[in-house]
Amino acid sequence: MIPTVSASGLSLRYGGTRALDDVSLRLTPGVTGLLGPNGAGKTTLLRVLATAVPADRGAFTVLGHDPSTSRGRQEVRRALGYLPQSPGFHPDFTAFEFVDYVAILKELTDRTARHREVRRVLEEVDLGDVRGRRIKKLSGGMRQRVALAAALVGDPGFLVLDEPTVGLDPEQRMRFRELIAHAGEGRTVLLSTHQTEDVAMLCHRVLVMAAGTIRFDGTPAELTERAAGRVWSSTERAPGAKAGWRTGTGTFRNVGDPPPGADLLEPTLEDGYLLTLDGAGAEVAA
Amino acid sequence: MTWHVDEQDLRAYARGELAAPMLWSADTHLAACGRCRGVLADVSDPVALDAGWERLDAELDAPRLGVLESLLVRCGVPDHIARLLAATPVLRGSWLGAVVALLVMTVAVANAVPETSTPTLFLALAPLLPLAGVALSYGPALDPTYEMAVVAPMHGFRLLMIRTLAVLATGLGLNGLATLALPGYGLRALAWLLPALALTATGLALTARLGPVLAPSLVGGAWIALLLVAHAERATDSDPLAPFTAAGQGVAAAVAALAVGALLLLRDRFDLFTWSAE
Repeated sequence: MIPTVSASGLSLRYGGTRALDDVSLRLTPGVTGLLGPNGAGKTTLLRVLATAVPADRGAFTVLGHDPSTSRGRQEVRRALGYLPQSPGFHPDFTAFEFVDYVAILKELTDRTARHREVRRVLEEVDLGDVRGRRIKKLSGGMRQRVALAAALVGDPGFLVLDEPTVGLDPEQRMRFRELIAHAGEGRTVLLSTHQTEDVAMLCHRVLVMAAGTIRFDGTPAELTERAAGRVWSSTERAPGAKAGWRTGTGTFRNVGDPPPGADLLEPTLEDGYLLTLDGAGAEVAA
Repeated sequence: MTWHVDEQDLRAYARGELAAPMLWSADTHLAACGRCRGVLADVSDPVALDAGWERLDAELDAPRLGVLESLLVRCGVPDHIARLLAATPVLRGSWLGAVVALLVMTVAVANAVPETSTPTLFLALAPLLPLAGVALSYGPALDPTYEMAVVAPMHGFRLLMIRTLAVLATGLGLNGLATLALPGYGLRALAWLLPALALTATGLALTARLGPVLAPSLVGGAWIALLLVAHAERATDSDPLAPFTAAGQGVAAAVAALAVGALLLLRDRFDLFTWSAE
Protein backbone atom coordinates (compact mmCIF):
# COMPACT_ATOMS: atom_id res chain seq x y z
CA MET A 1 0.00 0.00 0.00
CA ILE A 2 1.32 3.47 -0.88
CA PRO A 3 1.83 5.37 2.38
CA THR A 4 0.07 8.67 2.94
CA VAL A 5 2.95 9.83 5.10
CA SER A 6 6.51 8.66 4.75
CA ALA A 7 9.15 10.02 7.13
CA SER A 8 12.77 9.14 7.68
CA GLY A 9 15.32 10.30 10.23
CA LEU A 10 13.27 13.15 11.70
CA SER A 11 15.22 14.85 14.48
CA LEU A 12 14.61 18.06 16.38
CA ARG A 13 16.26 19.69 19.38
CA TYR A 14 14.74 22.38 21.60
CA GLY A 15 17.53 24.01 23.54
CA GLY A 16 19.35 21.09 25.11
CA THR A 17 16.47 18.66 24.76
CA ARG A 18 16.29 16.12 21.97
CA ALA A 19 12.54 16.21 21.28
CA LEU A 20 12.74 13.93 18.23
CA ASP A 21 15.58 11.52 17.62
CA ASP A 22 15.82 9.84 14.24
CA VAL A 23 12.13 9.06 13.86
CA SER A 24 11.09 7.12 10.78
CA LEU A 25 7.56 5.98 10.01
CA ARG A 26 5.06 5.24 7.29
CA LEU A 27 1.36 5.94 7.75
CA THR A 28 -1.36 4.30 5.68
CA PRO A 29 -5.14 4.88 5.57
CA GLY A 30 -6.94 4.08 8.81
CA VAL A 31 -6.42 5.27 12.36
CA THR A 32 -2.88 4.97 13.77
CA GLY A 33 -2.52 5.55 17.50
CA LEU A 34 0.45 7.36 19.00
CA LEU A 35 1.00 6.46 22.65
CA GLY A 36 3.62 7.77 25.03
CA PRO A 37 4.13 9.49 28.36
CA ASN A 38 4.30 13.26 28.79
CA GLY A 39 7.47 14.62 27.22
CA ALA A 40 7.87 11.63 24.91
CA GLY A 41 7.78 13.87 21.84
CA LYS A 42 4.29 13.06 20.60
CA THR A 43 3.14 16.65 20.18
CA THR A 44 6.45 17.60 18.60
CA LEU A 45 6.13 14.78 16.07
CA LEU A 46 2.57 15.83 15.25
CA ARG A 47 3.64 19.47 14.83
CA VAL A 48 6.44 18.47 12.52
CA LEU A 49 4.15 16.28 10.40
CA ALA A 50 1.55 19.08 10.40
CA THR A 51 4.27 21.43 9.01
CA ALA A 52 3.96 23.77 11.99
CA VAL A 53 7.57 23.16 13.05
CA PRO A 54 10.42 22.19 10.74
CA ALA A 55 12.66 19.29 11.75
CA ASP A 56 16.40 19.92 12.18
CA ARG A 57 17.21 16.77 10.20
CA GLY A 58 15.35 14.18 8.21
CA ALA A 59 12.59 14.43 5.63
CA PHE A 60 9.00 13.44 5.08
CA THR A 61 6.28 13.57 2.48
CA VAL A 62 2.50 13.74 2.78
CA LEU A 63 0.57 12.36 -0.20
CA GLY A 64 3.75 12.77 -2.22
CA HIS A 65 4.28 16.44 -1.32
CA ASP A 66 7.57 17.52 0.22
CA PRO A 67 7.02 20.28 2.80
CA SER A 68 10.63 21.44 2.78
CA THR A 69 9.72 23.99 0.08
CA SER A 70 7.17 26.76 0.44
CA ARG A 71 5.07 25.36 -2.39
CA GLY A 72 5.26 21.80 -1.09
CA ARG A 73 4.35 22.96 2.40
CA GLN A 74 1.24 24.65 1.07
CA GLU A 75 0.23 21.47 -0.79
CA VAL A 76 0.67 19.43 2.40
CA ARG A 77 -1.46 21.91 4.30
CA ARG A 78 -4.19 21.64 1.69
CA ALA A 79 -4.31 17.90 2.38
CA LEU A 80 -4.13 18.31 6.16
CA GLY A 81 -6.67 18.48 8.97
CA TYR A 82 -5.15 19.38 12.34
CA LEU A 83 -6.70 19.33 15.77
CA PRO A 84 -4.11 20.70 18.22
CA GLN A 85 -3.77 19.58 21.83
CA SER A 86 -5.52 22.65 23.21
CA PRO A 87 -7.60 24.02 20.38
CA GLY A 88 -8.30 27.69 20.88
CA PHE A 89 -11.55 29.38 19.95
CA HIS A 90 -12.75 32.89 19.54
CA PRO A 91 -15.37 32.59 22.28
CA ASP A 92 -17.74 35.14 20.81
CA PHE A 93 -17.99 33.21 17.56
CA THR A 94 -20.79 30.72 17.06
CA ALA A 95 -19.86 27.18 16.06
CA PHE A 96 -20.76 28.05 12.46
CA GLU A 97 -18.72 31.27 12.50
CA PHE A 98 -15.68 29.54 13.96
CA VAL A 99 -15.67 26.72 11.42
CA ASP A 100 -16.34 29.32 8.74
CA TYR A 101 -13.26 31.22 9.94
CA VAL A 102 -11.10 28.10 9.68
CA ALA A 103 -12.58 27.38 6.24
CA ILE A 104 -11.40 30.82 5.10
CA LEU A 105 -7.92 30.01 6.38
CA LYS A 106 -8.21 26.87 4.25
CA GLU A 107 -8.72 29.07 1.19
CA LEU A 108 -12.47 28.53 0.78
CA THR A 109 -13.29 32.08 -0.18
CA ASP A 110 -16.49 31.53 -2.19
CA ARG A 111 -19.21 32.24 0.33
CA THR A 112 -21.83 29.78 -0.92
CA ALA A 113 -19.42 26.87 -1.32
CA ARG A 114 -17.80 27.65 2.02
CA HIS A 115 -21.07 27.76 3.92
CA ARG A 116 -22.11 24.49 2.28
CA GLU A 117 -18.87 22.89 3.50
CA VAL A 118 -19.29 24.34 7.00
CA ARG A 119 -22.79 22.87 7.22
CA ARG A 120 -21.49 19.52 5.98
CA VAL A 121 -18.74 19.17 8.57
CA LEU A 122 -20.94 20.40 11.42
CA GLU A 123 -23.52 17.78 10.43
CA GLU A 124 -20.73 15.19 10.26
CA VAL A 125 -19.84 15.81 13.91
CA ASP A 126 -23.52 15.98 14.84
CA LEU A 127 -23.54 19.67 15.70
CA GLY A 128 -25.91 20.83 12.99
CA ASP A 129 -28.55 21.77 15.54
CA VAL A 130 -26.29 23.99 17.63
CA ARG A 131 -24.37 25.65 14.83
CA GLY A 132 -25.77 29.06 15.80
CA ARG A 133 -24.82 28.76 19.47
CA ARG A 134 -21.85 30.71 20.80
CA ILE A 135 -18.84 28.54 21.51
CA LYS A 136 -18.51 29.83 25.08
CA LYS A 137 -21.93 28.31 25.78
CA LEU A 138 -21.03 24.84 24.45
CA SER A 139 -19.86 21.95 26.64
CA GLY A 140 -16.26 20.74 26.51
CA GLY A 141 -17.26 17.75 24.38
CA MET A 142 -19.13 19.95 21.93
CA ARG A 143 -16.15 22.30 21.66
CA GLN A 144 -13.91 19.38 20.81
CA ARG A 145 -16.39 18.39 18.11
CA VAL A 146 -16.35 21.95 16.76
CA ALA A 147 -12.55 21.71 16.58
CA LEU A 148 -12.85 18.34 14.83
CA ALA A 149 -15.33 19.85 12.38
CA ALA A 150 -12.81 22.61 11.65
CA ALA A 151 -10.13 19.98 11.04
CA LEU A 152 -12.44 18.14 8.63
CA VAL A 153 -13.09 21.19 6.45
CA GLY A 154 -11.97 20.47 2.90
CA ASP A 155 -12.10 16.68 3.38
CA PRO A 156 -8.37 16.33 4.18
CA GLY A 157 -6.57 13.12 3.29
CA PHE A 158 -4.36 13.30 6.40
CA LEU A 159 -5.91 14.06 9.78
CA VAL A 160 -3.72 14.82 12.81
CA LEU A 161 -5.46 14.67 16.20
CA ASP A 162 -3.48 15.61 19.31
CA GLU A 163 -5.07 14.09 22.42
CA PRO A 164 -8.63 14.93 21.43
CA THR A 165 -10.27 12.87 24.19
CA VAL A 166 -8.49 14.55 27.13
CA GLY A 167 -10.92 16.07 29.59
CA LEU A 168 -14.00 14.40 28.14
CA ASP A 169 -16.34 12.36 30.31
CA PRO A 170 -16.85 8.68 29.37
CA GLU A 171 -19.96 9.33 27.30
CA GLN A 172 -18.37 12.21 25.41
CA ARG A 173 -15.24 10.13 24.90
CA MET A 174 -17.26 7.29 23.40
CA ARG A 175 -19.11 9.73 21.13
CA PHE A 176 -15.80 11.22 20.03
CA ARG A 177 -14.39 7.78 19.31
CA GLU A 178 -17.30 7.13 16.99
CA LEU A 179 -16.51 10.32 15.13
CA ILE A 180 -12.80 9.48 14.87
CA ALA A 181 -13.62 6.00 13.60
CA HIS A 182 -15.91 7.54 10.98
CA ALA A 183 -13.25 10.11 10.06
CA GLY A 184 -10.73 7.30 9.61
CA GLU A 185 -12.76 5.64 6.86
CA GLY A 186 -10.87 6.30 3.66
CA ARG A 187 -8.33 8.70 5.12
CA THR A 188 -5.18 8.51 7.22
CA VAL A 189 -5.58 9.58 10.84
CA LEU A 190 -2.73 9.95 13.32
CA LEU A 191 -4.20 10.01 16.83
CA SER A 192 -2.03 11.00 19.78
CA THR A 193 -3.50 9.85 23.06
CA HIS A 194 -2.78 8.85 26.64
CA GLN A 195 -5.75 6.49 26.61
CA THR A 196 -4.87 2.92 25.69
CA GLU A 197 -8.64 2.31 25.37
CA ASP A 198 -8.67 4.80 22.47
CA VAL A 199 -6.06 2.73 20.70
CA ALA A 200 -7.69 -0.60 21.52
CA MET A 201 -11.04 0.57 20.17
CA LEU A 202 -10.00 2.65 17.18
CA CYS A 203 -6.59 1.86 15.77
CA HIS A 204 -5.35 -0.65 13.24
CA ARG A 205 -1.83 0.27 14.20
CA VAL A 206 -0.02 1.79 17.16
CA LEU A 207 3.25 3.64 17.67
CA VAL A 208 4.76 3.99 21.13
CA MET A 209 7.10 6.93 21.70
CA ALA A 210 9.48 7.59 24.55
CA ALA A 211 12.32 10.11 24.82
CA GLY A 212 11.84 11.28 21.26
CA THR A 213 12.10 7.85 19.64
CA ILE A 214 9.66 5.27 18.35
CA ARG A 215 9.86 2.29 20.72
CA PHE A 216 7.16 0.19 19.13
CA ASP A 217 5.48 0.08 15.74
CA GLY A 218 2.89 -2.62 15.13
CA THR A 219 -0.69 -3.65 15.62
CA PRO A 220 -2.52 -3.29 18.95
CA ALA A 221 -2.60 -7.09 19.16
CA GLU A 222 1.19 -7.23 18.78
CA LEU A 223 1.61 -4.64 21.53
CA THR A 224 -0.69 -6.65 23.79
CA GLU A 225 1.27 -9.80 22.94
CA ARG A 226 4.40 -8.20 24.43
CA ALA A 227 2.84 -8.73 27.84
CA ALA A 228 1.89 -12.36 27.28
CA GLY A 229 3.12 -14.41 30.23
CA ARG A 230 4.16 -11.26 32.10
CA VAL A 231 0.96 -10.39 33.91
CA TRP A 232 -0.04 -12.26 37.03
CA SER A 233 -2.17 -11.97 40.11
CA SER A 234 -1.10 -12.32 43.71
CA THR A 235 -2.54 -11.79 47.15
CA GLU A 236 0.30 -9.43 48.09
CA ARG A 237 2.07 -6.84 46.01
CA ALA A 238 4.84 -8.64 44.14
CA PRO A 239 8.21 -7.01 44.95
CA GLY A 240 9.75 -7.71 41.54
CA ALA A 241 6.88 -6.30 39.49
CA LYS A 242 7.42 -3.33 37.17
CA ALA A 243 3.95 -2.19 38.13
CA GLY A 244 1.33 -3.59 40.44
CA TRP A 245 -1.96 -2.44 41.88
CA ARG A 246 -4.76 -3.80 44.00
CA THR A 247 -7.84 -4.57 41.95
CA GLY A 248 -11.47 -4.38 42.96
CA THR A 249 -11.42 -8.05 43.93
CA GLY A 250 -8.71 -7.43 46.51
CA THR A 251 -5.94 -9.26 44.63
CA PHE A 252 -2.95 -7.56 43.05
CA ARG A 253 -2.47 -7.34 39.30
CA ASN A 254 1.26 -7.36 38.57
CA VAL A 255 3.14 -6.58 35.36
CA GLY A 256 6.75 -7.62 34.89
CA ASP A 257 8.71 -10.84 35.18
CA PRO A 258 6.54 -13.28 37.14
CA PRO A 259 7.89 -15.68 39.76
CA PRO A 260 7.74 -19.41 38.99
CA GLY A 261 4.24 -20.84 39.32
CA ALA A 262 2.56 -17.43 39.22
CA ASP A 263 -1.13 -17.22 38.42
CA LEU A 264 -0.90 -15.70 34.94
CA LEU A 265 -3.58 -13.33 33.64
CA GLU A 266 -4.73 -12.36 30.16
CA PRO A 267 -2.65 -9.28 29.15
CA THR A 268 -4.18 -6.05 27.94
CA LEU A 269 -2.90 -3.37 25.59
CA GLU A 270 -2.03 -1.25 28.62
CA ASP A 271 0.17 -4.03 30.00
CA GLY A 272 2.05 -4.21 26.72
CA TYR A 273 2.39 -0.44 26.69
CA LEU A 274 3.76 -0.34 30.25
CA LEU A 275 6.31 -3.02 29.48
CA THR A 276 7.35 -1.23 26.30
CA LEU A 277 7.96 1.96 28.26
CA ASP A 278 9.94 0.08 30.88
CA GLY A 279 13.58 0.47 30.03
CA ALA A 280 12.84 3.52 27.91
CA GLY A 281 13.61 5.79 30.80
CA ALA A 282 9.95 6.57 31.38
CA GLU A 283 8.13 6.27 34.64
CA VAL A 284 5.81 3.34 35.06
CA ALA A 285 3.03 4.14 37.48
CA ALA A 286 2.82 1.66 40.31
CA MET B 1 -49.60 36.85 1.83
CA THR B 2 -50.37 40.20 0.28
CA TRP B 3 -48.17 39.71 -2.75
CA HIS B 4 -46.52 36.93 -4.76
CA VAL B 5 -43.44 36.74 -6.91
CA ASP B 6 -44.14 37.31 -10.59
CA GLU B 7 -43.94 34.10 -12.67
CA GLN B 8 -41.33 35.61 -15.00
CA ASP B 9 -39.21 36.47 -11.98
CA LEU B 10 -39.66 32.91 -10.70
CA ARG B 11 -38.43 31.57 -14.05
CA ALA B 12 -35.41 33.88 -13.83
CA TYR B 13 -34.91 32.77 -10.22
CA ALA B 14 -34.97 29.12 -11.27
CA ARG B 15 -32.37 29.82 -13.96
CA GLY B 16 -30.21 31.64 -11.40
CA GLU B 17 -30.56 34.84 -13.41
CA LEU B 18 -32.61 36.93 -11.01
CA ALA B 19 -30.54 39.91 -9.87
CA ALA B 20 -30.38 41.57 -6.46
CA PRO B 21 -32.35 43.16 -4.83
CA MET B 22 -35.24 41.19 -6.38
CA LEU B 23 -33.25 38.04 -5.68
CA TRP B 24 -33.16 38.82 -1.95
CA SER B 25 -36.88 39.57 -1.89
CA ALA B 26 -37.61 36.31 -3.69
CA ASP B 27 -35.38 34.35 -1.30
CA THR B 28 -37.17 35.76 1.72
CA HIS B 29 -40.62 35.43 0.21
CA LEU B 30 -40.14 31.84 -0.96
CA ALA B 31 -39.14 30.77 2.54
CA ALA B 32 -42.61 31.73 3.73
CA CYS B 33 -44.91 31.27 0.72
CA GLY B 34 -46.04 27.78 -0.28
CA ARG B 35 -47.93 29.04 -3.34
CA CYS B 36 -44.83 30.65 -4.87
CA ARG B 37 -42.77 27.57 -4.05
CA GLY B 38 -45.34 25.52 -5.96
CA VAL B 39 -45.14 27.82 -8.99
CA LEU B 40 -41.38 27.71 -8.79
CA ALA B 41 -41.45 23.92 -8.82
CA ASP B 42 -43.63 23.98 -11.95
CA VAL B 43 -41.39 26.35 -13.89
CA SER B 44 -38.04 24.91 -12.80
CA ASP B 45 -35.98 22.05 -13.98
CA PRO B 46 -34.98 19.84 -11.04
CA VAL B 47 -31.27 20.62 -11.16
CA ALA B 48 -31.78 24.35 -11.17
CA LEU B 49 -34.41 24.03 -8.46
CA ASP B 50 -32.01 22.11 -6.21
CA ALA B 51 -29.42 24.82 -6.72
CA GLY B 52 -31.99 27.45 -5.81
CA TRP B 53 -32.99 25.64 -2.63
CA GLU B 54 -29.37 25.22 -1.71
CA ARG B 55 -28.78 28.91 -2.14
CA LEU B 56 -31.85 29.69 -0.08
CA ASP B 57 -30.75 27.24 2.58
CA ALA B 58 -27.33 28.86 2.67
CA GLU B 59 -28.86 32.31 3.09
CA LEU B 60 -31.04 31.13 5.96
CA ASP B 61 -28.08 29.40 7.61
CA ALA B 62 -25.64 32.24 7.16
CA PRO B 63 -24.61 33.71 10.50
CA ARG B 64 -25.71 37.23 11.32
CA LEU B 65 -22.70 39.48 11.10
CA GLY B 66 -21.39 41.24 14.18
CA VAL B 67 -21.00 45.00 14.36
CA LEU B 68 -17.40 45.05 13.13
CA GLU B 69 -18.02 42.59 10.31
CA SER B 70 -21.14 44.42 9.16
CA LEU B 71 -19.24 47.70 9.14
CA LEU B 72 -16.37 46.21 7.15
CA VAL B 73 -18.68 44.56 4.60
CA ARG B 74 -20.59 47.82 4.17
CA CYS B 75 -17.25 49.52 3.51
CA GLY B 76 -16.63 47.08 0.66
CA VAL B 77 -14.34 44.60 2.44
CA PRO B 78 -14.95 41.04 1.09
CA ASP B 79 -16.89 38.94 3.60
CA HIS B 80 -14.07 36.43 4.11
CA ILE B 81 -11.57 39.19 4.91
CA ALA B 82 -14.11 40.74 7.28
CA ARG B 83 -14.41 37.39 9.08
CA LEU B 84 -10.62 37.17 9.44
CA LEU B 85 -10.54 40.68 10.89
CA ALA B 86 -13.40 39.96 13.26
CA ALA B 87 -11.12 37.42 14.92
CA THR B 88 -8.47 40.07 15.63
CA PRO B 89 -8.49 40.75 19.39
CA VAL B 90 -7.33 44.37 19.21
CA LEU B 91 -10.14 45.32 16.85
CA ARG B 92 -12.70 44.52 19.52
CA GLY B 93 -14.51 47.25 21.40
CA SER B 94 -12.72 46.76 24.71
CA TRP B 95 -9.27 47.19 23.19
CA LEU B 96 -10.26 50.12 21.05
CA GLY B 97 -11.94 51.70 24.06
CA ALA B 98 -8.70 51.48 26.04
CA VAL B 99 -6.74 53.11 23.22
CA VAL B 100 -9.28 55.91 22.86
CA ALA B 101 -9.28 56.52 26.63
CA LEU B 102 -5.49 56.73 26.64
CA LEU B 103 -5.45 59.16 23.74
CA VAL B 104 -8.16 61.34 25.27
CA MET B 105 -6.21 61.59 28.50
CA THR B 106 -2.98 62.42 26.68
CA VAL B 107 -4.64 65.06 24.53
CA ALA B 108 -6.34 66.53 27.58
CA VAL B 109 -2.98 66.81 29.34
CA ALA B 110 -1.37 68.39 26.25
CA ASN B 111 -4.13 70.99 26.07
CA ALA B 112 -4.33 71.65 29.81
CA VAL B 113 -0.58 71.97 30.33
CA PRO B 114 0.85 73.38 27.10
CA GLU B 115 4.36 72.09 26.55
CA THR B 116 6.77 74.30 24.64
CA SER B 117 6.49 73.93 20.85
CA THR B 118 5.50 70.24 20.62
CA PRO B 119 3.08 68.04 22.56
CA THR B 120 5.90 65.77 23.70
CA LEU B 121 3.86 63.33 25.80
CA PHE B 122 1.41 62.76 22.95
CA LEU B 123 4.17 62.38 20.37
CA ALA B 124 5.99 59.92 22.60
CA LEU B 125 2.91 57.78 23.25
CA ALA B 126 1.20 57.81 19.84
CA PRO B 127 3.81 55.68 17.99
CA LEU B 128 3.58 53.01 20.67
CA LEU B 129 -0.14 52.38 20.14
CA PRO B 130 0.06 50.96 16.59
CA LEU B 131 3.15 48.98 17.62
CA ALA B 132 1.28 47.42 20.53
CA GLY B 133 -1.88 46.91 18.48
CA VAL B 134 -0.07 45.01 15.74
CA ALA B 135 1.91 42.99 18.29
CA LEU B 136 -1.29 41.97 20.04
CA SER B 137 -3.11 40.94 16.88
CA TYR B 138 -1.00 37.94 15.94
CA GLY B 139 0.90 35.15 17.63
CA PRO B 140 0.29 32.38 20.13
CA ALA B 141 -0.07 34.65 23.15
CA LEU B 142 -3.28 36.36 22.13
CA ASP B 143 -4.63 34.58 19.06
CA PRO B 144 -6.32 31.44 20.39
CA THR B 145 -6.45 29.89 16.93
CA TYR B 146 -2.82 30.64 16.17
CA GLU B 147 -1.73 27.00 15.89
CA MET B 148 -4.59 26.15 13.54
CA ALA B 149 -3.84 29.25 11.48
CA VAL B 150 -0.15 28.40 11.11
CA VAL B 151 -0.86 25.02 9.49
CA ALA B 152 -3.64 26.36 7.26
CA PRO B 153 -2.89 26.81 3.55
CA MET B 154 -3.29 30.59 3.81
CA HIS B 155 0.23 31.94 4.18
CA GLY B 156 0.93 33.25 7.68
CA PHE B 157 2.43 36.44 6.26
CA ARG B 158 -0.76 37.18 4.34
CA LEU B 159 -2.87 36.80 7.47
CA LEU B 160 -0.39 38.97 9.35
CA MET B 161 -0.55 41.68 6.70
CA ILE B 162 -4.37 41.64 6.55
CA ARG B 163 -4.55 42.14 10.29
CA THR B 164 -1.63 44.58 10.40
CA LEU B 165 -3.14 46.85 7.79
CA ALA B 166 -6.49 46.86 9.59
CA VAL B 167 -4.94 47.50 13.00
CA LEU B 168 -2.54 50.08 11.60
CA ALA B 169 -5.32 51.91 9.79
CA THR B 170 -7.40 51.92 12.98
CA GLY B 171 -4.48 53.00 15.17
CA LEU B 172 -3.32 55.72 12.80
CA GLY B 173 -6.91 56.87 12.36
CA LEU B 174 -7.40 57.25 16.10
CA ASN B 175 -4.06 59.00 16.43
CA GLY B 176 -5.10 61.29 13.58
CA LEU B 177 -8.35 62.19 15.32
CA ALA B 178 -6.39 62.91 18.48
CA THR B 179 -4.08 65.15 16.46
CA LEU B 180 -7.06 67.18 15.31
CA ALA B 181 -7.76 67.88 18.96
CA LEU B 182 -4.39 69.61 19.24
CA PRO B 183 -4.85 72.47 16.75
CA GLY B 184 -2.54 74.83 18.63
CA TYR B 185 0.50 72.80 17.63
CA GLY B 186 -0.19 72.79 13.89
CA LEU B 187 1.62 70.17 11.79
CA ARG B 188 4.11 69.57 14.60
CA ALA B 189 1.42 67.45 16.26
CA LEU B 190 1.75 65.02 13.34
CA ALA B 191 5.38 64.20 14.14
CA TRP B 192 4.25 60.83 15.59
CA LEU B 193 3.35 59.41 12.18
CA LEU B 194 6.77 58.45 10.78
CA PRO B 195 8.03 57.12 14.13
CA ALA B 196 4.83 55.06 14.38
CA LEU B 197 5.47 53.50 10.98
CA ALA B 198 9.14 52.92 11.83
CA LEU B 199 8.38 51.30 15.17
CA THR B 200 5.62 49.07 13.78
CA ALA B 201 7.65 47.92 10.78
CA THR B 202 10.76 47.32 12.92
CA GLY B 203 8.70 45.41 15.48
CA LEU B 204 7.28 43.17 12.77
CA ALA B 205 10.65 42.57 11.12
CA LEU B 206 12.21 41.61 14.45
CA THR B 207 9.20 39.41 15.26
CA ALA B 208 10.35 37.10 12.50
CA ARG B 209 13.56 36.54 14.51
CA LEU B 210 12.64 37.19 18.13
CA GLY B 211 8.96 36.31 18.35
CA PRO B 212 5.81 38.36 18.89
CA VAL B 213 6.47 39.26 22.54
CA LEU B 214 10.18 40.04 22.74
CA ALA B 215 10.42 41.95 19.45
CA PRO B 216 7.80 44.67 20.09
CA SER B 217 8.87 44.87 23.73
CA LEU B 218 12.44 45.60 22.67
CA VAL B 219 11.34 48.12 20.07
CA GLY B 220 9.05 49.88 22.53
CA GLY B 221 11.78 49.91 25.13
CA ALA B 222 14.29 51.28 22.62
CA TRP B 223 11.85 54.06 21.67
CA ILE B 224 11.43 55.11 25.31
CA ALA B 225 15.19 54.96 25.87
CA LEU B 226 15.75 57.08 22.76
CA LEU B 227 13.31 59.70 24.02
CA LEU B 228 14.98 59.79 27.43
CA VAL B 229 18.39 60.29 25.82
CA ALA B 230 16.98 62.97 23.51
CA HIS B 231 15.40 64.68 26.51
CA ALA B 232 18.73 64.72 28.34
CA GLU B 233 20.62 65.94 25.30
CA ARG B 234 18.45 68.81 24.12
CA ALA B 235 19.94 72.28 24.57
CA THR B 236 16.90 74.05 26.03
CA ASP B 237 13.57 72.91 27.37
CA SER B 238 11.77 74.65 24.51
CA ASP B 239 13.52 72.59 21.82
CA PRO B 240 11.63 69.60 20.41
CA LEU B 241 13.08 66.16 21.12
CA ALA B 242 15.41 64.93 18.37
CA PRO B 243 12.97 62.34 16.90
CA PHE B 244 10.45 65.13 16.31
CA THR B 245 12.83 67.40 14.43
CA ALA B 246 13.16 67.34 10.62
CA ALA B 247 16.33 65.25 10.87
CA GLY B 248 14.66 62.84 13.28
CA GLN B 249 11.72 62.46 10.94
CA GLY B 250 14.10 61.65 8.09
CA VAL B 251 15.76 58.96 10.17
CA ALA B 252 12.34 57.52 11.07
CA ALA B 253 11.37 57.35 7.40
CA ALA B 254 14.63 55.57 6.54
CA VAL B 255 14.20 53.08 9.38
CA ALA B 256 10.63 52.38 8.28
CA ALA B 257 11.74 51.71 4.70
CA LEU B 258 14.57 49.42 5.78
CA ALA B 259 12.31 47.52 8.16
CA VAL B 260 9.68 46.97 5.47
CA GLY B 261 12.40 45.58 3.21
CA ALA B 262 13.64 43.23 5.94
CA LEU B 263 10.08 42.17 6.69
CA LEU B 264 9.50 41.17 3.08
CA LEU B 265 12.73 39.19 3.02
CA LEU B 266 11.75 37.34 6.18
CA ARG B 267 8.10 36.76 5.30
CA ASP B 268 8.39 32.96 5.10
CA ARG B 269 9.26 32.86 8.79
CA PHE B 270 5.67 33.85 9.60
CA ASP B 271 4.53 30.61 8.00
CA LEU B 272 6.01 28.45 10.76
CA PHE B 273 5.45 27.92 14.46
CA THR B 274 9.06 28.69 15.25
CA TRP B 275 9.33 30.90 18.27
CA SER B 276 7.51 29.18 21.12
CA ALA B 277 7.13 25.56 20.18
CA GLU B 278 7.16 23.37 23.25
